[in-house]
Amino acid sequence: MRRAVSAFDWRLLVRRLPVGVAVGTTVFALVWVLFWAPSTNFGPAIHSPANFLITLLNGLTLAALMFIVASGFSLIFGLMRVVNMAHGSFLLLGGYIAYEVQQSMTNGGGLTVFSSQVNAWDWLVPAIVAAAAIGGIGLVTQQVFLRWNMGQDLRQALITIAISVIIADQVVAHFPLESSIEKGSAVNTSWPGAIDRLVNLHIAGVQYSVARLTMLGLGVAVGIALWLWLYRTKTGMVIRAGVDDRQMTSALGVNIQVTFAIAFVVGASLAALGGAVFTSYAGVNPTTDGQWLLNSLVVVIVGGLGSIFGTVAGALLYALVYNFSISYLPTTGGDCCGQYSPVLTFVLLALVLAFRPQGLFGRPA
Amino acid sequence: MGRLRGRRWRILLPFAAMAIVAAAIAASSLAAHSASVIRLAIMSDCKGAFGGAYELDIGGAEAALAQYAHGKPVSSKKPSAGMTGITIGGHPVKIVGYGCGNDTVPVAISETKRLMEQLKADIMIGPLSGDEAVTIAHYAQKHPTKTFIIGTAGSQDPTLQIAPKNMFRYHGDGAQWNAGTGILAYKKLGWRKAAIIMDDYSFGWTSAAGLIADFCGAGGKIVKRVFPPLNTTDYAPYVQQLPAPSKVDGYFWVVGGTGTGPSLKAYESAYGKVDPKKFVGNLFFFFQSGFADVAPRLIGAYYGGFGNAPGLKTAGAKQYEATMKKWFGPAGFNVTDSFVYNYFNAAHALVIGLTKSGGALGASLNASLPRSIKAGYQVSNGGQVKLDSNRQAIADQYPQQIVKGPDGKPAAKIVGYVPGVDQSFGGFFKKTSPPPGRSQPPCVKHKFPWAGHIKAVQNGVITKKTIG
Amino acid sequence: MSPFAWRPRPMSEKNLVELVIGVTLLLFLAVFPVFGVGYWVSFVLTQTFLIGIAAASLVFLTAYGGMVSLAQTALYGISAFALGNMVTKGAVKGLHLGLDPWLAVVLAIAITTAIGLVFGAVASRSAGIYFLMITLTYAVIAFTFFGQVTQVSGFSGIAGIADRTPALVGDPVTQPNRLYYIALVTALVVYFAIRHVVRTPFGISLQGVRDDPVRMGSLGYNVALHRTLAFTFAAFIASLAGVLYGWWNGVIAPDNVGLGATVDLLIVAVIGGLGRVEGAWLGAFAFVVINNYVRDVSVPVLGGSFNTVIGLIFLAIVIVSPSGLMGLWDRLWDAAGYREGSGPRAAAAAGTAGPQA
Repeated sequence: MRRAVSAFDWRLLVRRLPVGVAVGTTVFALVWVLFWAPSTNFGPAIHSPANFLITLLNGLTLAALMFIVASGFSLIFGLMRVVNMAHGSFLLLGGYIAYEVQQSMTNGGGLTVFSSQVNAWDWLVPAIVAAAAIGGIGLVTQQVFLRWNMGQDLRQALITIAISVIIADQVVAHFPLESSIEKGSAVNTSWPGAIDRLVNLHIAGVQYSVARLTMLGLGVAVGIALWLWLYRTKTGMVIRAGVDDRQMTSALGVNIQVTFAIAFVVGASLAALGGAVFTSYAGVNPTTDGQWLLNSLVVVIVGGLGSIFGTVAGALLYALVYNFSISYLPTTGGDCCGQYSPVLTFVLLALVLAFRPQGLFGRPA
Repeated sequence: MGRLRGRRWRILLPFAAMAIVAAAIAASSLAAHSASVIRLAIMSDCKGAFGGAYELDIGGAEAALAQYAHGKPVSSKKPSAGMTGITIGGHPVKIVGYGCGNDTVPVAISETKRLMEQLKADIMIGPLSGDEAVTIAHYAQKHPTKTFIIGTAGSQDPTLQIAPKNMFRYHGDGAQWNAGTGILAYKKLGWRKAAIIMDDYSFGWTSAAGLIADFCGAGGKIVKRVFPPLNTTDYAPYVQQLPAPSKVDGYFWVVGGTGTGPSLKAYESAYGKVDPKKFVGNLFFFFQSGFADVAPRLIGAYYGGFGNAPGLKTAGAKQYEATMKKWFGPAGFNVTDSFVYNYFNAAHALVIGLTKSGGALGASLNASLPRSIKAGYQVSNGGQVKLDSNRQAIADQYPQQIVKGPDGKPAAKIVGYVPGVDQSFGGFFKKTSPPPGRSQPPCVKHKFPWAGHIKAVQNGVITKKTIG
Repeated sequence: MSPFAWRPRPMSEKNLVELVIGVTLLLFLAVFPVFGVGYWVSFVLTQTFLIGIAAASLVFLTAYGGMVSLAQTALYGISAFALGNMVTKGAVKGLHLGLDPWLAVVLAIAITTAIGLVFGAVASRSAGIYFLMITLTYAVIAFTFFGQVTQVSGFSGIAGIADRTPALVGDPVTQPNRLYYIALVTALVVYFAIRHVVRTPFGISLQGVRDDPVRMGSLGYNVALHRTLAFTFAAFIASLAGVLYGWWNGVIAPDNVGLGATVDLLIVAVIGGLGRVEGAWLGAFAFVVINNYVRDVSVPVLGGSFNTVIGLIFLAIVIVSPSGLMGLWDRLWDAAGYREGSGPRAAAAAGTAGPQA
């Protein structure tokens, strides 16, 4: 009797271990950041609330941008089981197209334009044009290369890899279009002048960038729009059904091919929209596609494929860990420890996957 | 094996394929090449962060070959289209290949092998970037019969720590390029306390070392060093670690390549518009992507040059620029760009060396390569760049400032002339000292050989007025 | 009978033909250094052998384990970095421990295999696309680790590995033939090892786990353990490739394990054929040759460089023959009128249809 009880307890412990570890780590991290944080750049939050708030806001705003980009990836994978390795190239091309459109609207001559010369229209039109253009390219890609081999996941992933290599190379060869600037240069677009300023938040004397807050707002808006689309429209319902059970949905007579096409177009457009936003936020250059493909993969793996809530959770976790680890790891001399934050981020990711292979909100394979 | 009925003969196809491949291999290996032709390879980057400099590098080298070695470019618009007729000292010289790196070590080494072993080049002019040069320096050590003249790589190791006997560099390294700029920040901008942000890899550290050494040497203090890794997507948390503008007199901004723009944007998100008087950078403020991405926002900021001197009004400078325009004017690139200038000087040195050695290669060529060369932007020593005992150049440097050009676009203006900068900074950097890194060099007061000898430059003319 | 015992198999006509082709090729390669050009020996073929070994580990996992692993490049890099750190001496980057070359080799292989065991254990509960993702994470961790932790490397990498090779290997620069033969022999050993392992009871049950893990689990097989062991074996193979690479190149840098290099290895395996182990070397040869000879190319109408060319070639191969070049050979065989009912090829065709999501 006693032996049976102790065996049962041991298995219960093992099952509860991942949750325990997760809870323990989170509590430790909170205590560290809020109260302890020895030898770090700023000290704990109780001593330096302004820096804590800034780090938190940086994390949230970056998460919003990551959500916009990764949601497209998650949508395409969730419905069509296509790992769209060309997602980063779509973002790259979208960013350069947004730059070219803004340049022609503001007569920039290829050089950085100042936000005082840019109004809201000069920012929105490039973003819309970029999203539409990449949506079109996404449609062509899906119809020509991905429609006839549904179900062959690896083959589709490889095809999208090849397409990403070709697109990235073509972008570097032709953009920026202005002939006096070297091809393959880094470029950026400007936020509208109205938002490219700081605002006083009246908490701990923090001044924060309105542009970043706008980015946060944009991410929330995209999230709400996606949610409404997926949960309140007929197409969205079909998509959710397709995510749950593709064959059954098709067997019920729904034109699943049209739905696939729509989903791919929306996914690609979201990548381009993310690209347009990122080009204003930091700028785009030939290495951006690889960086953002990786970011999308991380967000979507951690959060879980095919679920909006998962993508939100993944984006939040990734962006917050990124920002907090850089600011709150100890800096005891030149070689420790802030430089290890990238490694830390990915190790955490691996741990999440170790305990929950399908991601936080994903469905088991 | 069964009888080959019907379509079964097709199984012999793999044998046929193998035979064809074997024949192709044999043919390519038997392709005759005359033993007396000297084979030259030019190594640059056609992809990656510096891919845009490909034509500039090749154009610089080929212009020197055209001017001094009877070479004829196939196309004056596209240097990589090739060149014919190069003859040095009666020996024909053939450019056997152009190396296409991407600023990474594996591709650098595989391109080097392709050029030196498959295409059998005897001499390499290149590479372009720092890490590539470190790995090619190791390669050079193992291949002493080949000669390597560095193109524009700015890492310190190849000629200070590794220093193979068959590797030459006729321009300064990343630290040398920034010589004098730190003193300028101290004396002209009045900075006393500064923070520095640099890319977390060898070129970032080397470039920063030049700024730190000078600035601290004059008496300034670096209060904070921040090192974002390469390939950072979001610089905001790193910028957050920098002290606020009210707490420091200025920032040394040594984030380069594709990171200059994003990091400055992150700064603007945190603190508002950049004040150019509070930013001193390195060549990335103006060159490559910097021109379109960064320079328009930093009109008035100083930056360490690239060894070049745009607008210098000396006879040597005018002659160099005229030579470049003569051969590759239609290609439309900026001839004052050091990518062009450094490759030009490398090729010019090669011509002099081969002429002196009478076409002999290997150790004879290494002994014959000039230990001093007339370089367009050099003023001291009668316009001669000299090589030190590690075959590293001692050259003049020219801190610059971004100004608004007559066409409204950013332009570079020389503000200072720093004579005769050597790689060791007058003994400050030794072969045995720790290489530039996250905490090296330390911030100490030190008088460098050029302190007190930096002359102001007005309108391209070196004045007698001393800056610091 | 031991789970790893060898059992003889009857040979079909196709197997006989392939055996003849293989032996002919082997003889050709064995005598090639005598008459062949040095560049082909030292650059193209040696590189083919060692990239092929790394790709073979990927093909093994995909074809027989149903696991597409993107961590093989990382493992091969870890092995080369371990070797570099342990064997180099003097003023180079890294730990430069200066150990005896053979000891360093053994330790490098042991460390990599151990890391492979850990990676495999962590990843063994995932399948299909999730497995792909977690192995991609390993690749990124390796890249970021070796780039950021300057004590063991830094972005310039570790050089001078070829200066401290064991006496048998000699100096790869002046005696390239030695490394050529060592790489050739290692490739053969790896090839036969894989072929042997997949025919043992362990290998057969691994293929069962590939085809239907649920059923295998219900039959009492430990699915996670099978996957872990398979991954460890693949890590061992990749570590051999890493050691050879360290000797061949002399330099190992974080970009050797980056995203680009990971995708390149996948491209090698796909070009060759993910269904058959021979494809690894065929793909490696095609990749090395294409990479070498198209560098100076610029695309006429589109513009762009050799990357576009490689992308187009890869796209064409994946669309036309998803089983790569070996798949073309198999189809040729079918078209020639022979029929192949069962065996590794049919199972491999199921394997390339994609992991079960």
